[in-house]
Amino acid sequence: MTAGAGVRPALRRLSGAPLGLLALIALFTILRPTVFPDPGNLSNLLEHIAVLTIVACAQTVVMAVADFDLSVGATASFSGVIAAQLLVAGWPTVAAIAAAMAAGVVIGVVNGWLVAYLKLSAFVATLASMTALAGGSLLLTDGSTIFGLPDDFLLLGQSRPLGIPTVVLIAITVGAVTWFLLSRTAQGRRWHAVGGNAEAATYAGIDVGRTRLLAFVVSGAGAALAGLLLSSRLASAHPTAGDPLMLTSIAAVFIGLTAAQAARPSVAGTILGVVVLGVLDNGLNLLDVNPYVQQILTGLIIVVSVGLSRRRGERP
Amino acid sequence: MTGLRHAYGRHTVLDGIDLEIPAGEVHALLGENGAGKSTLIKIVSGALRPSAGKVEVYGRGLTGVPEAQGAGVVTVHQNLGLVDGLNAVENMYLGRPYPRHGLFADRAAAHRHTAAALGALAVSAPLDVPVRLLSPVQRTAIALARAIEQKPAVLILDEPTASLTAHETTVLFGVVRELRERGTAIIYVTHRMAEVFELCDRVIVLHDRRVVARARPSETDPDALVALMTATEASQAPPRPPRPAGEAVLSVDGLTGNRVESVSFEVTRGQVVGVAGLGGSGRSELLRLIGGVQRARAGGVRCRGQSVRPGSTRAALTAGIALVGEDRRRHSVVASGSVRENLSLGSLTALSGGGLMRRRRELALYEEMTALLRIRAAGPEQPIGELSGGNQQKVVLGRVLATRPHVLLLDEPTAGVDAAAKQAIRSLIADLATRGAGVVVVSSDLSELLSLADRLLVLVEGRLAADLDPRKTDEFTVLRRCYGGAE
Repeated sequence: MTAGAGVRPALRRLSGAPLGLLALIALFTILRPTVFPDPGNLSNLLEHIAVLTIVACAQTVVMAVADFDLSVGATASFSGVIAAQLLVAGWPTVAAIAAAMAAGVVIGVVNGWLVAYLKLSAFVATLASMTALAGGSLLLTDGSTIFGLPDDFLLLGQSRPLGIPTVVLIAITVGAVTWFLLSRTAQGRRWHAVGGNAEAATYAGIDVGRTRLLAFVVSGAGAALAGLLLSSRLASAHPTAGDPLMLTSIAAVFIGLTAAQAARPSVAGTILGVVVLGVLDNGLNLLDVNPYVQQILTGLIIVVSVGLSRRRGERP
Repeated sequence: MTGLRHAYGRHTVLDGIDLEIPAGEVHALLGENGAGKSTLIKIVSGALRPSAGKVEVYGRGLTGVPEAQGAGVVTVHQNLGLVDGLNAVENMYLGRPYPRHGLFADRAAAHRHTAAALGALAVSAPLDVPVRLLSPVQRTAIALARAIEQKPAVLILDEPTASLTAHETTVLFGVVRELRERGTAIIYVTHRMAEVFELCDRVIVLHDRRVVARARPSETDPDALVALMTATEASQAPPRPPRPAGEAVLSVDGLTGNRVESVSFEVTRGQVVGVAGLGGSGRSELLRLIGGVQRARAGGVRCRGQSVRPGSTRAALTAGIALVGEDRRRHSVVASGSVRENLSLGSLTALSGGGLMRRRRELALYEEMTALLRIRAAGPEQPIGELSGGNQQKVVLGRVLATRPHVLLLDEPTAGVDAAAKQAIRSLIADLATRGAGVVVVSSDLSELLSLADRLLVLVEGRLAADLDPRKTDEFTVLRRCYGGAE
């Protein structure tokens, strides 16, 4: 999406992925006519993809500066564990949430500093923090699941004001804020400029290091928020609960890049990618497809979509 | 006998070149920046396929790098082509089999052999450390030893002495002469006039895509060669009328970088300062140091009396110094963005309020700059990659003008743009100066520099070698000074 140009040009360019999405929806509706289009299932689907939406939006910002963050899944797990342990220890809910969010920001600062100032590759830096965080989560929980979270914390993931799940409302807000940041603010321009051509951004007087660091801070915070929602939804914190979010969030951004035929990541494309992955997951579940086969299919979809964008001569 | 002949035209970078280099001769290749030396070398070494014509070594036609190597064409590029992380021995045997001892690679023999090869060049180097830790001489020696090892029929040396001291150069010359004795044909690219006369049997001068001379050094002299390199079709624009000197807007004091060596000068309000120099003279680095892209090792920059924090383009821009880089695609254009976004990039803060981009201000800037610079674009949202090179360059100029700079640093501002855009950019530069900006222009186009500049600085190997008045000099003199000639 051309930042600032609005959603319309992006929508006009949308091609393969929306058609694929419609095909998927049609397929599942025909195969499971009573279950798939049921409002209960659709609401369940939205609730299911809400957490991924948040992480994928955060990942979009990092990928807009042409980096990526492998630690988002581990950060989400870690934030859930931190909040749960503090809650179990008797901290007030707000304080526990604040502490988990602060942990996410700190993780983002460390990742950003390693990448932007120590010049480690994003791969090495975030792989290292992912590994360290996974160890931290296991250490804090002794490898087991924490239960017994207070009711007011569970409201975050399980309440439905006006019948709409709170997680969905939060995900919509995060999507809107990220879209606004990327396409309407000076900071968004800096992110896109650094991702498009870091050297040109330097010549234009942009502080490239700070710009990249900020992108990682956004992804750290987004991942921490997602981890909180996840453990609230599950009423428990597991040391690896958030881990799958890493691959799926990157996949969602890639699918979005293909869908919008854009040279750079956009929130609209990413959300489309999230919906594609969510519908696929939900539909295959309803069809009782073996979950391992589902994973294989997801992998195939990523390869096909990224392959298509390569064939158009664009580098994702 | 080495017969080497080719004729071709590729974007008319080179046009109808016929050359023959006999075995056992050293031919110097001279030419201004952009005269086509690099292209010629690439073609002879097989890396580039000529659009017409052919290259033959001992009567064998060359069609690619493997064929060229098979025929014995070996090139030592200016960057030497070493793998930095490997040691001297590993670099020596890069792409070639190690000596064997039974089934195994005989590392000890490879070691001895490498030491001997370097010894023949009168250079000793530790053999087991990564070559990136070695000195320029040692690195040059390894690259050269590797080249000699391949028993070249044709050896191309691209500015081999660029990072060598006088003594080291003498050693290198000895090696080159020895190779010549053994019947190797050598193409020697250099910017140093003295080397041509000391070492070479013939000198080939490239100018304006053609070979304009192929002479014996004894039949010519440095001034005559420089004259050949500058021979123009006399379409030189008149120099600017003299203007009264205003107050200093930019002061550069003892600036030192990797190549640039304690350069000092001042630019006054309304003055256009041209910087001439050969490739590698440090002219681009000088602009990068002033513009904050690169941090200076020593020395400082002041803009309107205020000293500028070094190593930060943001600090430079805030102080009023704006830089347009040499390579448009690399340094200037964000290809994934629109014309409007590329224009806004230098002044995001001014174009936003509370961090929010103000669309109206952005569009006003677009209108202002498209009118001022006559940018041909379909609209603000057109992807910048769709514009012509000249229009892209104008967008980049618009970007820096939007920062309302007091000093404008332009590196090759008219390279790769069409004639009309060239003219437009030149008159814009003159215009900006008239309105009080100080401008520093680096250009390989000497006639352009002479017609634009109020003052012309010549850089030779990182040092300020001359300070000329464009009204009292000509291309010949400037180029002679670029080659290190005295007054």
